[in-house]
Amino acid sequence: MTVTQTVTDNSQPRTVPQAVHLDGLRAALNRALRGKADVVEKVLACLLARGHLLLEDLPGLGKTTLAKAVAAAVGGRFSRVQCTPDLLPGDITGFSVFNQKTREFEFLSGPVFSDVLLADEINRTTPRTQSALLEAMAERQVTVDNVRHTLTPTFFVIATQNPVEHHGTYPLTEAQLDRFAMKLSVGYPDRGDELGLLAAAVGHVSDAAGEGAVLADGELAALQERVSRVAVQPNVQAYLVDLGRATRAHPKVTLGLSPRGMLIWQRVAQAWAYLKDRSFVTPDDVQEVATPVLGVRLGLAPDAAGSVINQLLETVPVPV
Amino acid sequence: MAPKLSKLVRRATFALVALAAAAVEVAARDGRTVLQSIGLAAFWVAVAVVVAWFVPTPDDPRRKPPLWVFLLLLLLAAAPFAVEPLRRKWTGDGYPLEIQMVCCLRSVGLGLAACAGWLLCLRMACVTSLFLLLFAAAMTNHPAVMAVLGLYTATGSVWLMLVYWSGLRSVFVAPDKAVTIEVQAGGERVPWLGLSVLVLLLGGAVALVVVGPKRAAFALGELMPTSGGTGETDPFARYGIGDGPEETAGDDAKAAGMGETDRMIEDNKNSLIDAVSDMYGPPHKPRKDQERMVAAGKVDVIQFHGKLPDNRRPSRDFDTARKGPKGDRKPESQKARGLFEIHGRTPLHVRLVAYQSYDPLEKRWLEARKPGRILIEPEGSDWMKPGQFKDVGWYLAGERHRLKTADMKSNLVPTPVMMTRFRINKVDRPEYFEWDYEGVLALAGRKRTPPGMVVTTDCRTLDPHRLPESAYGTAGTAGGAFPSLGEVPDAVRPEIARLAWEWAADRPHGWPQIEAVLTKLRTESVLDRDAAAPADHPAPVLWFLTESRRGPDYLFATAAALMLRTLDYPTRVCLGYYAAPEAYDPETAHTPVRASDLHFWPEVLLRDGQWLVVEPTPGYELLGPALPLSERILNALAAIAAWVWLHVVEISFLLAVLVAAWVRRRELFDALAVRLWAWFPGRTWREQVRGAVALLERRGRWAGKPRPRRQTIFSWLRGPLARPSKKDDDLDRLSRMAEWAAYAPDAPPPWSESEVLTVCQRVLGGWTLRRWRDPTTISAMGA
Repeated sequence: MTVTQTVTDNSQPRTVPQAVHLDGLRAALNRALRGKADVVEKVLACLLARGHLLLEDLPGLGKTTLAKAVAAAVGGRFSRVQCTPDLLPGDITGFSVFNQKTREFEFLSGPVFSDVLLADEINRTTPRTQSALLEAMAERQVTVDNVRHTLTPTFFVIATQNPVEHHGTYPLTEAQLDRFAMKLSVGYPDRGDELGLLAAAVGHVSDAAGEGAVLADGELAALQERVSRVAVQPNVQAYLVDLGRATRAHPKVTLGLSPRGMLIWQRVAQAWAYLKDRSFVTPDDVQEVATPVLGVRLGLAPDAAGSVINQLLETVPVPV
Repeated sequence: MAPKLSKLVRRATFALVALAAAAVEVAARDGRTVLQSIGLAAFWVAVAVVVAWFVPTPDDPRRKPPLWVFLLLLLLAAAPFAVEPLRRKWTGDGYPLEIQMVCCLRSVGLGLAACAGWLLCLRMACVTSLFLLLFAAAMTNHPAVMAVLGLYTATGSVWLMLVYWSGLRSVFVAPDKAVTIEVQAGGERVPWLGLSVLVLLLGGAVALVVVGPKRAAFALGELMPTSGGTGETDPFARYGIGDGPEETAGDDAKAAGMGETDRMIEDNKNSLIDAVSDMYGPPHKPRKDQERMVAAGKVDVIQFHGKLPDNRRPSRDFDTARKGPKGDRKPESQKARGLFEIHGRTPLHVRLVAYQSYDPLEKRWLEARKPGRILIEPEGSDWMKPGQFKDVGWYLAGERHRLKTADMKSNLVPTPVMMTRFRINKVDRPEYFEWDYEGVLALAGRKRTPPGMVVTTDCRTLDPHRLPESAYGTAGTAGGAFPSLGEVPDAVRPEIARLAWEWAADRPHGWPQIEAVLTKLRTESVLDRDAAAPADHPAPVLWFLTESRRGPDYLFATAAALMLRTLDYPTRVCLGYYAAPEAYDPETAHTPVRASDLHFWPEVLLRDGQWLVVEPTPGYELLGPALPLSERILNALAAIAAWVWLHVVEISFLLAVLVAAWVRRRELFDALAVRLWAWFPGRTWREQVRGAVALLERRGRWAGKPRPRRQTIFSWLRGPLARPSKKDDDLDRLSRMAEWAAYAPDAPPPWSESEVLTVCQRVLGGWTLRRWRDPTTISAMGA
């Protein structure tokens, strides 16, 4: 029956090489961050959705390790910025210097000109410096001295931050937060994972994640392009819109979901469906990624986020 | 989420309804002082204020009011009806029904104003207040109502401004707050209540079209019995347009209305048709050589040289050996629709001729002798009292009838039986009346009763079941008091007596015996107006009783009378008119009596001299006493109980089936729905899957495991699959199919259509309602 071949194409959106690459990425990240398969899965979704990731948790839980592992697995150029209060915008974007020889100003590119940028402890730098990333994250370009510099299409920011109530932090602005696709917390590992961690550390001098790149050049872009073609039916889009509007009407939400946030939510849901080896998005995908996507951008008290998002999901009926 | 309604708007609405309530109270009794009316209105408003104190304000005014609001409104609507009887009893004052209904509406309006936190209630309260005020303004031109109208206008203006301002506020609210959640209609349940109301409305509209608006209006008018009138039916009714029983007769005296005018139209025309022959066929013609001398009254001979009217013609003996009617039996063309019209309770027997002796040779009833002088005493106000009506304690509450003559062929004054008094406007002397027979009143010295004459009568009613045995006299053929009323011809006596004793010998003397005879006749014989005994049959009554068991009403009456005579009850038969309840015309509220309503019936003489009408003819009933409502309800219940007892087996079976069907209603409905799905599963595989999933969803709902709003079909159906021991491949596949059907783009699915149907059928067959209910099978759905 001719249906069979067509069916295979529809039901399994991933080709065999792509599936191998995805499995490789997944395995590499799981090796770097033990016992956190669900976090790893969401990181992958964020990466495939061309979103940026904010990792928020207590110190020492593996945020930086995860970020470095992602950077290493994805391949390409990797930059890291350790955000401190004295960091300046130019330290991120780059700046022009006067060349005595040529008697011209030359642009020295900053760490933002990379494929993966790790902004470690981003909320320890000032809002002025944080804002240097706004254009880069939203438009994948940087404008310095009225000159526009284009970033790579797969430009991916992984930022880590300590919880906002900690001393010496500057809360990220709403504009900044809205440019992240999701916010994840790593959390403490299980007892067994901690035992494994200790056992693995014995005999190793360095704690660096020394694995090589999983994806070759251009493969991430191909994966992202494939994800963008995952189908979203009108009823699921209507469900997304209903949820977005519900966030704006909720009395406990001071800042509702923006249209950009809604677009990001759809992309992440597409990526989630892709990771589930499905060629279309279902409301289940939308719900699965709701907490990290909404958690980073809704104006909510930190302790109320979970209950409010859950309430929103309970209120709006899914299309069937 | 919409903001709460402004408190000012709610208060302004309350003020509008309070003003309308005050206007209604003033208009309801404009003879009362304004202060009293306002005080009464203030009382009801205070009640509403107390109610409003306890009614919470909803967060979302656009939400549907909860059920208790409707119950509260029902309670408030019923309050005026509950108060009215007490008020009438204690104060002697009362409202007619229409005012009570307006008061009911006023209470509902106040209740709505008390619940004005809900937008629906607020709007309805406002509309109700407007209606009430317009009603009050239309009902009276009392200055106080005009003043309230002015206040209402001013308050209404403020109300409009406030509502407008509230609308602006909702526009000015922050955009992110003004957005409401748009819920897709796909997941909503069927609005059964709305559909029911729609069906009712459609049914009402169709009924209106079928019966016509005029008839519907009359039917509705029957619900308002006190709209206008003299207070005869309701002491608190008022005069007004369409004064019910007081409507005027108009130019045509034969019109149906009961106008007691002084008009007495003179008409010397003799009757053109013999209604008796028309109804029952021509009588048997006597042999030519037979001569008969009949003495006519002096007045008849001297003053009337033409044809005598029906009730004055000689040889009015009734021939029971008739051949049945011939040809067209339609009565003559006439402008009036009947001989006379009756206003009052029916059925009613109006005597025309009384017969006393039965001649077996001629097979005919001979008319009774004219009574001697029966005293008619004037009572004042044109009321006449016919003789002495002894109060022996048998009779029940009196009945009043108004009979309007329209096109009488004789000078009969139509009166009901057991009449205690009568009245004709301006006819104030007893000499104007005479008795044709005992109980048959006529206008003295007139050929025919003029049209348009209204006879008001009071008569007693009787429940024969309560009559003591001593109430019945004895005919006393052997030296009794009324030997002529007990005569039974020897030719028919043996057979009649045999039958009578066979039917009633085991019953005690009195009504039980009479009832036994009547019941036998009513149940075992058939009324057939065209049936007639063979001409050569010696006794038509025996032919009727023993052979045909069918015949016209005079054979029923004759058989009953003769049988009762053999049982020693003094009996006679009467010819007269029967006013059937079925002929009641709601348009005029009268029952017309036509020439075709001629009827024969027997009467039994009671010891106090009154004639008890009995009815052996099936289909004809007697006017029973007007029972109080409680007794009528009890009688109805008793009749229902008797009927139930008679059909106890069938009813038990039906009830068992109904109970079983009710207990298993969901299984039945589910089986029916599955069968329908099997017949019409859908055109595409998506429709097939959706249909099957809808059936599963309903099963889950009925089993107490409904799909939560946030769950997709896929994750919901995965619930029972969560436990490995319960893994079901078909359900697993159906859940995937459902996911595809709902969210996948248009592309061929990874399964064939026949496979879809098979999987759906297997799941529907395997995951039955019982299985969904079984807690050991499915512990928690989609948790």
